[in-house]
Amino acid sequence: MAGEAGGDPRAWLAADETAAVFLSRTLSTRPPILLPPPLHRAPLRPGNVVEIAGPSNSGKSQLLLVAAVQCILPKECKGVYLGGLGKAVMYLDLDCRFDVLRLAQILRNRIAKCCGSANPTNEEFAKDGATNSSFENTLFSDCMKRFLYARCYNSSDFIVALQNVHSQSQAKSEVLGVGIYILMIDSIGSFYWMDRGSQPAAESKGRTLSLQSVTETVVQTLRNFLQLQPVLVMVTKAPIYGEGFTTGNDFQRGTSKHTSEDSTVKCRRQDEEKNISCHEFMPSVWQSFVTHRIKLQGLGQEAELFSVQENKVLALHTCEWMQPSLNTKDKFSITDDGVILVQ
Amino acid sequence: MVAGGGRTGAGAGAGAGCFPRRYPLPADEVREKNQDERQGGQFLDGMDLLKDVTENKRFLPTGVQGYPIWIIDALLGGGLRQGQLMEITGQSSSGKTQVCLCSAAHVAARHLGVVVYLDTSNSFSPRRIARMVDVFPISLVNEPKHVRLHRVMSSIICESVFDIFNLFEVLHQLELSLKKKVNNGSSKICLLIIDSISSLLAPIISGKYPQGRSMMLSVAMILKKLADEHNLSVLVTNHMVAGNGAPKPALGESWKTVPHVRLVVSRDRGSNICTATVLKHTLLASDRHCMKFAVPS
Repeated sequence: MAGEAGGDPRAWLAADETAAVFLSRTLSTRPPILLPPPLHRAPLRPGNVVEIAGPSNSGKSQLLLVAAVQCILPKECKGVYLGGLGKAVMYLDLDCRFDVLRLAQILRNRIAKCCGSANPTNEEFAKDGATNSSFENTLFSDCMKRFLYARCYNSSDFIVALQNVHSQSQAKSEVLGVGIYILMIDSIGSFYWMDRGSQPAAESKGRTLSLQSVTETVVQTLRNFLQLQPVLVMVTKAPIYGEGFTTGNDFQRGTSKHTSEDSTVKCRRQDEEKNISCHEFMPSVWQSFVTHRIKLQGLGQEAELFSVQENKVLALHTCEWMQPSLNTKDKFSITDDGVILVQ
Repeated sequence: MVAGGGRTGAGAGAGAGCFPRRYPLPADEVREKNQDERQGGQFLDGMDLLKDVTENKRFLPTGVQGYPIWIIDALLGGGLRQGQLMEITGQSSSGKTQVCLCSAAHVAARHLGVVVYLDTSNSFSPRRIARMVDVFPISLVNEPKHVRLHRVMSSIICESVFDIFNLFEVLHQLELSLKKKVNNGSSKICLLIIDSISSLLAPIISGKYPQGRSMMLSVAMILKKLADEHNLSVLVTNHMVAGNGAPKPALGESWKTVPHVRLVVSRDRGSNICTATVLKHTLLASDRHCMKFAVPS
């Protein structure tokens, strides 16, 4: 803009866009993304970085998969309302624990549910079961094609994959006809110990490969990609316990149980435990890159009491927004169809 | 019965079954290896993944229907999955090794492929395998008993591993021989058992330096890479340590993110009834599964 204005400073100062135009442009190029509960509390936009933290078995990967299904499902297909976003998803698997059958299970159940509820209104499908299932199958394979997956076995794989994300996403979106909407990383701390362990020794061509430099490269590559193509980045993070942290803690908890059953002490212990599980291990480069934080927790025992009124006993998990900090805790359970909120 | 007692029994039966420890790597193979190496950042779509899973990754049985350990197959929705890493954890003498031996025997008896058994605590017993093979139903494999026993024994390769460096070396050799076997098209290794992995990993992860955990997670990554690229099913065992109240699986929080499936076996004192509980499973997400089975004494 400044270059075009040339010598005349007044033209340079002239407004070229009103707030209304700006707003409508932003809303059309970067529309808010509505994710299924419990991720629905805060508005998310392309360009945001959401970090889902929580211990093992708290449902992090499940939330990612449910969000992925929401993204790859179209909004509507042949008169059946599916309520998805109809865009592609990229999934970088650093844990190497992704199970495609689980994704297929959630997707199939979602499709069957939507088609099932559409059946009474849509006579065509009700009449012929065969066409119905073939319709479901083509819809299923169309959706699965929008799910793009890569696995990484170490940090250099991860960085190479991130550098390729832009070119790959352009190539794939030409083939698919839809753009990438969400980039998922499961989970960010997977190579923490490997990078830390290699810190003093691995030095190749004058460049040290340490946790700090790896994270800086990751953040820089992601930033570059987000500038070229705004997508929503969703990242899971499992806690990492420092050396000797857990053993000391265990000992303390053991003694406190024997000496006093006081509820306040227990509460404090629980708080301490929580603090330790939130203990931030990623370098500050990463922390400032994250825009939204969600904390998950498995409730374990009390969960099973809670959902006895249903015929199945389900483990309960809680979901809490830390940034922006909302003072609500959502309780959810994981089922075959994905995730359901529990009141 | 099996030829001779002790651990050499399987080795003698195996004959040429043992994979070469150190063979020179020809130059053209090195080049091929580099080409084979999957580039980071190559994206597969969901249908490719689904096709790979349905075509290349079978379920391996851990037992026969009606026999005690079969219950674990029912619990896991079909058995051990190729491409996945499963952990069995439980207290001492709760039946972990029994499950390993039983899976090895079944996979070998059903012509599914070769089993590699990495033994870290001298618990591999060819006699117990022979006893299991002896009582298999006739309908399962239609051949004379001594032929069957010889065949089963020769497709189980046992290797003793006593420290982590040895494990790295063995896994590296295994990877090389798997790459070579792809070219030759000979009978494939389909199951890798490490009984117990925790006796190798537990000593190195304590202390204030990160190298121990780094090595532990490197082993985990190598195992998962082998599992995925060569369609292996990996079965490891872990012991239990005293936790806060109840005993918990060893190796701590960082190991929790490694296995695809975690199974706890426990045994009532003085009886041979075992209880198996699924702690973590990639597919059975919704509720806890728990079943009882009996281990023949």
